[in-house]
Amino acid sequence: MTLSHQETLQQRVERLLPTVVKPGRYVGGELNQIVKPWDSVQTHVALVFPDIYDLGAANLGMALLYDILNQRSDVAAERAFAPWIDMEAALREAGIPLFSLENKRPLADFEIIGVSLPYETLYTNFLNALDLGGIPLYSAQRDKDHPLVIAGGQAVFNPEPVAPFVDAFAIGEGEEVVLEIVDAYQAWNLADTSRQDLLTRLAGIPGVYVPALVSVEYHPDGTIKQVKPIHPAVKLPVDKRLMAKLPPPLTHFLVPNVEIVQERVSVEIMRGCTRGCRFCHAGMVNRPIRERPVAEILAALGTGLDQTGYEEVSLLSLSSSDHSQVIPLIERLKNLLTERQVNITLPSLRIESFSEELMDILQKLSPGGGFTLAPEAGTERLRNIINKPLSDADLMATVRSVFQHGWNSLKLYFMIGHPQETLADVEAIAELCKALLQEGRRLAGGRVRVHAGISTFIPKPHTPFQWAPFDHLESIQTKINLLHEGLRGSKIKLTWNDPQASLLEAWLSRGDRRLAEVIHQAWGNGARFDAWGDQFRIEPWQTAFEACGLDQNFYSTRVRGLDETLPWDHINAGVRKAFLLEDYQWSLAGEVRPDCRQRCYACGILSSFNELRLAVPGGGWGCP
Amino acid sequence: MGLPLMTPQTPITRIRVQYAKGEALRFTGHLDLQRLWERTLRRSRLPIRYSQGYHPRARLNLASALPLGFVSDDEWLDFWMDEPRPLDEIQDRLSSSSPPGLKIKAVQSVDLSEDSLQARMKASEFVITFYDPQNKQDLHAKVAYLLVQDNIPRSRRKKAYDLRPLILNLEVITQSSGEPGLWMRLLAEPGATGRPDDLLDQLGYPNTAYLVRRTQLILA
Repeated sequence: MTLSHQETLQQRVERLLPTVVKPGRYVGGELNQIVKPWDSVQTHVALVFPDIYDLGAANLGMALLYDILNQRSDVAAERAFAPWIDMEAALREAGIPLFSLENKRPLADFEIIGVSLPYETLYTNFLNALDLGGIPLYSAQRDKDHPLVIAGGQAVFNPEPVAPFVDAFAIGEGEEVVLEIVDAYQAWNLADTSRQDLLTRLAGIPGVYVPALVSVEYHPDGTIKQVKPIHPAVKLPVDKRLMAKLPPPLTHFLVPNVEIVQERVSVEIMRGCTRGCRFCHAGMVNRPIRERPVAEILAALGTGLDQTGYEEVSLLSLSSSDHSQVIPLIERLKNLLTERQVNITLPSLRIESFSEELMDILQKLSPGGGFTLAPEAGTERLRNIINKPLSDADLMATVRSVFQHGWNSLKLYFMIGHPQETLADVEAIAELCKALLQEGRRLAGGRVRVHAGISTFIPKPHTPFQWAPFDHLESIQTKINLLHEGLRGSKIKLTWNDPQASLLEAWLSRGDRRLAEVIHQAWGNGARFDAWGDQFRIEPWQTAFEACGLDQNFYSTRVRGLDETLPWDHINAGVRKAFLLEDYQWSLAGEVRPDCRQRCYACGILSSFNELRLAVPGGGWGCP
Repeated sequence: MGLPLMTPQTPITRIRVQYAKGEALRFTGHLDLQRLWERTLRRSRLPIRYSQGYHPRARLNLASALPLGFVSDDEWLDFWMDEPRPLDEIQDRLSSSSPPGLKIKAVQSVDLSEDSLQARMKASEFVITFYDPQNKQDLHAKVAYLLVQDNIPRSRRKKAYDLRPLILNLEVITQSSGEPGLWMRLLAEPGATGRPDDLLDQLGYPNTAYLVRRTQLILA
């Protein structure tokens, strides 16, 4: 009997809960949660975010798919998150499978598992979730009675490192394709044919990549010889999906009963970015730029506040100050914020587009507190190379204005480890921070604080730097030491990413299909929560590389040949490889490519998707 | 002792809510419950009183922290409004804004000068339901043995204390299921609050063996 089985699982879990940290992560029951009677729907989809509830429950992409799927009366979408270490141990000891929060059903009871992979360091948690859910890890091991495992998210623009574990990838924006996948599943279910037939049906959906139907051959040196379809249903490359016009923003937010990382009404005001920073994966793969109209944003914020009672709203985009209507938007937001007594956060502000006017309004709306800017490099030379051009004088002028407007804490993000970077560029970061602090103190006094956050450059797929090497660990450490010395006694706070964690990200983001075995072994060696500084260890990975006979440096510090077939070349993110190559060469020459809002540089997004653009005119698509 | 004055103006109305915290909120702790209440008040769109400053917060005051993992039939909270509203409207709005697990039982208007709920707390009553069947005679024996002690030295968060004077009553009861359970009344004054889970630990029950339900708050 299903019912008694369900009660048993829930009761067994409840007895475990007093023994684990923050048990409220595992109970669901939030305001606005959608629980459909299990037998009332045809298709059950488990949306899995392979990190803890505290992060996953705040993920907008997951919330969006939950809403879209649950709007269908024939589908129930439920949520599952990675259990923290203590809960994993408790579940394994009690023999309880990973379950959904809504109906408390084991993952294996669902027809479709949709895994969200926004970053690569979730891969071991992804395997762990399948394993805890009682689902065979490899696609090839799953048969008709197992759930279909779909993965999507920003990381899967290079799907290859997790290809053997995934039945089908949804590449690009998920709003439409997720429904098409459910349709294909239902049609297959009705036809009652083989699992192979399901995979070929899925491969026929634009934006869906079925790795089992694509073979990869390698040269003796480990580079790729050929990637080819092994079924006529497959067409390569697989074009990503995108929405020509953004649908109205999400207003259905679950309100958690325990604290999570972000509790606010978030509205995506714009998708894509025209700046063309060469290191930025998001800026390349999320093209073109599409703005949401002000009225739509305001309406969504109001509805979201009505539904949640949150104290804060957030306007999301890759570069909020680049929204063409940002000033009118915020002007019109004022009333709502005052009436509802809520705060606003506006992350991702660009130094160049950040006007005095915007600063005036923002300071009035949310006075005090900190201000964040990301110059990324310490010298104009290197900023030109990475295509985030900004003169020292302009940076100084912006920072001066920040302090004059009353902010007294400044956070600056920088990146080290770019192949064109010299030690002088690194020293310049420290000098720049000190100069900005000194200017801040002159204008706003001794309470001024400056914080430098340092990350390591990771060459990402589908960016102009996809051929570039990741820096050597010793070299990264030398640079961090140099920053320490340079800032000694300055009272500037310095924080940096663990270079080994960046190395892992470098392996995983540019890996090929052979890396799957490394991920599998690392998971077997105990790797979990690799995105967590207190959990990540490099040793399980090094052991795994050795056991698989693969060279770590092949994936990280090796300069890739310009004529090489890259592991993700058969995925079309919209930007042509020839464009990326040209931009890489411009970079080596120190040449800047201006913002493409004014003039088109033929990156490829228009040639790939022009028909789509023409089919939906007036959708806020920002290409000139 | 009055409440800290959070705003320069005097609040106009003070509303007291009696509510139940059900199983859906069993693992929502005290601080999370305060935030949950603030959001419930915000969703109600009642003219609630906010603190001034950069991050306005609803002014509210909970009678007594309920430990994580407990449910309750009888919790109390005060909040303030800038303008009066009919009590039945307040109750309706709060009920329709409440998340699963929060049940509004009664709403009343309270004099502004009245002492805070925390200051008036005297004792709490609890009913314990065991997950596994218990032998009633054994339970009686354990309870009797506990109650004859003059002192029950324990420690909580590395602080030593005597549990015995915090136990006002402790009895074995028969629950509606027919199974034996416990009923207790524990002191709940500032600095002298008895914890049912400590008492049960003293009786030899781990916190995975039972569910605690607070059944009544006793105020001065």
